[in-house]
Amino acid sequence: MSAHRPRILVIDDEPQIHRFLTPALEAAGFEPIRADNAAAGLKELARRAPDAVVLDLGLPDMDGKEALARARSFYEGPVVILSARHREMEKIDALDLGADDYVEKPFGVGELLARLRAAMRRGPHLESPPAAVVAGDLEIDPGMRVVRRGGERVRLSPKEFELLARLVEAGGRVVTHRQLLTTVWGPAHEADVQYLRVFVGQLRQKLETDPARPRHIVTEAGVGYRFLAD
Amino acid sequence: MTNVSSESAAGPRVPRTRLRPGAHAAALALVGAAWLAATAAGEGLGGANLVMLFLAPVLVSAVAFGLGPALLAATAAAITYNFFFIEPRLTFLIAQPGDLVTFFMFFAVALATGWLAGRERDQASAARRHAAAVGALLESSRALAAATTAEEVARVLAEHATAAGAGAVVVLAPGADGLRLKAGPEGLDRLAASAFEAAERAFATGETQTSEADAGGGWRFEALVGAAGRVGVVGIRHGGLDRQAPAGDLLPALIRQGAVALERARLSTAAADNQALRRADELRSALLNSISHDFRTPLSTVLGSATTLLEYGDELKPSIRRDLLDSIREEAQRLNRYVGDLLDMARLEAGALKPRKAWTDVREAAASALERLGERRAGRKVKVDFARDLSRVRLDRTLLEQAILNILENAAAYSPAGSRIELSAHEDAANVVVSIEDEGPGISREALADVFDKFRRLDRSTDRGEGLGLGLSIAKGFVEAMGGRIAATSPVAAGKGTRFVISLPKVVRSPKDLL
Repeated sequence: MSAHRPRILVIDDEPQIHRFLTPALEAAGFEPIRADNAAAGLKELARRAPDAVVLDLGLPDMDGKEALARARSFYEGPVVILSARHREMEKIDALDLGADDYVEKPFGVGELLARLRAAMRRGPHLESPPAAVVAGDLEIDPGMRVVRRGGERVRLSPKEFELLARLVEAGGRVVTHRQLLTTVWGPAHEADVQYLRVFVGQLRQKLETDPARPRHIVTEAGVGYRFLAD
Repeated sequence: MTNVSSESAAGPRVPRTRLRPGAHAAALALVGAAWLAATAAGEGLGGANLVMLFLAPVLVSAVAFGLGPALLAATAAAITYNFFFIEPRLTFLIAQPGDLVTFFMFFAVALATGWLAGRERDQASAARRHAAAVGALLESSRALAAATTAEEVARVLAEHATAAGAGAVVVLAPGADGLRLKAGPEGLDRLAASAFEAAERAFATGETQTSEADAGGGWRFEALVGAAGRVGVVGIRHGGLDRQAPAGDLLPALIRQGAVALERARLSTAAADNQALRRADELRSALLNSISHDFRTPLSTVLGSATTLLEYGDELKPSIRRDLLDSIREEAQRLNRYVGDLLDMARLEAGALKPRKAWTDVREAAASALERLGERRAGRKVKVDFARDLSRVRLDRTLLEQAILNILENAAAYSPAGSRIELSAHEDAANVVVSIEDEGPGISREALADVFDKFRRLDRSTDRGEGLGLGLSIAKGFVEAMGGRIAATSPVAAGKGTRFVISLPKVVRSPKDLL
């Protein structure tokens, strides 16, 4: 790993974005690969096998979802998409199509790199029981199904625990409403977002210092939830 | 249609014969003349000729005055003939059987000819009146059809009803706060409270209402009923109706036509309002779309470059740091231009633009627009072709400069790098003409039609922000605000290129301007 700088493919048609993203990625220890449209991006993806992809959904030559679907047909690495704030459906569709996370334009470089790193931590081979996670005063051990807050054991219902485990497992990446509902409640409940609101509310009551201003279980409006360790 | 009375349902009809004292007196006078003639002629006139002489006033009355006077003349002639000329004279007795036959024959013939000729005459004059009524109605319907607003319809209806002999006529239609007087006789700008209440009752109930008589007489109000309901009220002065005119029968038809026209005008106003709302709505959504679409990229660049400098500034080479700062400056300038465009557009939309006119050398404005284009020329060669002598024009130099700059920016954005843009300024007899021509791919005929529309961009498939698509429509707004015109032609040569021409009228200098 020492000599290898992770390669990041950036597919965006705006030269101004490459203009700052290229030096930023280099400075952060990555090797950026530039592609100005979807066709060039898919070609680079096949040729260079990057460690992660940053994909703008508003490309001139191909619908962003189409580009993502084609990429996913042969590429399993992490993909972070760039999207506009008001296009919730576009983001949700992209996440359901296999994107790992998204960043809303305009974005700060720190935010993009954090998402990118989180996505890259998710190895494709993460099958072994997940390790315990420490987040502030929280200690979560998915294997043992134990949650402690400030050393005190917190009692969670099975559904609450599954929900928390699913969020923690994502390692800081966003999990869509549908993904949470189908894994925790089953495919029949994929549209029952109100279940989620109730259970997330209960989890926050039990885990957050200030449930009204959650620091760990963060809402991504219209899209889903994200677990932040700090 | 509850308020339509049986009278109005009949429409224009042949008027009934009316009692006309003058015509009857004239008929009697004719009989008197015949008596005088017969008396003067004395015994020399034969019995048969005498009968003929007394038939004459009957026929003349029938032809001249119609049925009623003819029958009166026939009766009077028979009585006179009997009294004065049948033995024994100066009595109504008839001694001879032969005279009895003659008298009854005369009376029968007089009645028959008088009836036939009189009826003929009455029908002819009824047909004439009918034709006049139909003509008047046609004329009114043409005038009503030409009226586009409720105010115009009301005015035409009041005028035509008045012309048709209805006397004073007022038309009321509902406004935002109840019924309002839309048209009426000159000098009448409001109705008395009692009359207004009667009008409101007529509108509310659909039934004819009358108001108490005041100094000018009372009003009779009828609701104007269109296809979809009541659309207003028409009021006619009591007793104002002149029975000699065809109005008595014309008026109901006229009122129906007026109601339909009023309803149409109201619907078309509503349709126009709707369209204006829809356009405002489209503009708003285009504006929102534009902001989210076109502001995002420069903002992303500014935020991305700034955060890169903040987080990795120390690790970046000086040249890259410099480049990121440049890009922040450029994008901030771009955002500033967008904001300026939106403000300009808002000013144009609000009609708040007040050109500050002064005598201006158009070449100076064009040259400074070119200077401001600066680096956005991006490798395009600009050929300047200004006339050596050019009339000064009275206009707002700032607005002209901005208009030219917007067209130059458009030319630079839509033509390949290395191509040529020609900027020229000349004049003809009436105008100083600025022309901007590029060597871009040109604009299709369809696209040319709305090239000045707001948020119009030829290539919308990409997120790449070349601008808001407001530049040309601002240019047009500015040029027109100064009294000039702007037009686009494409292709210019060999199927390529676009030429924009700004024509600025040379005002004839008045002596005052020369002082």
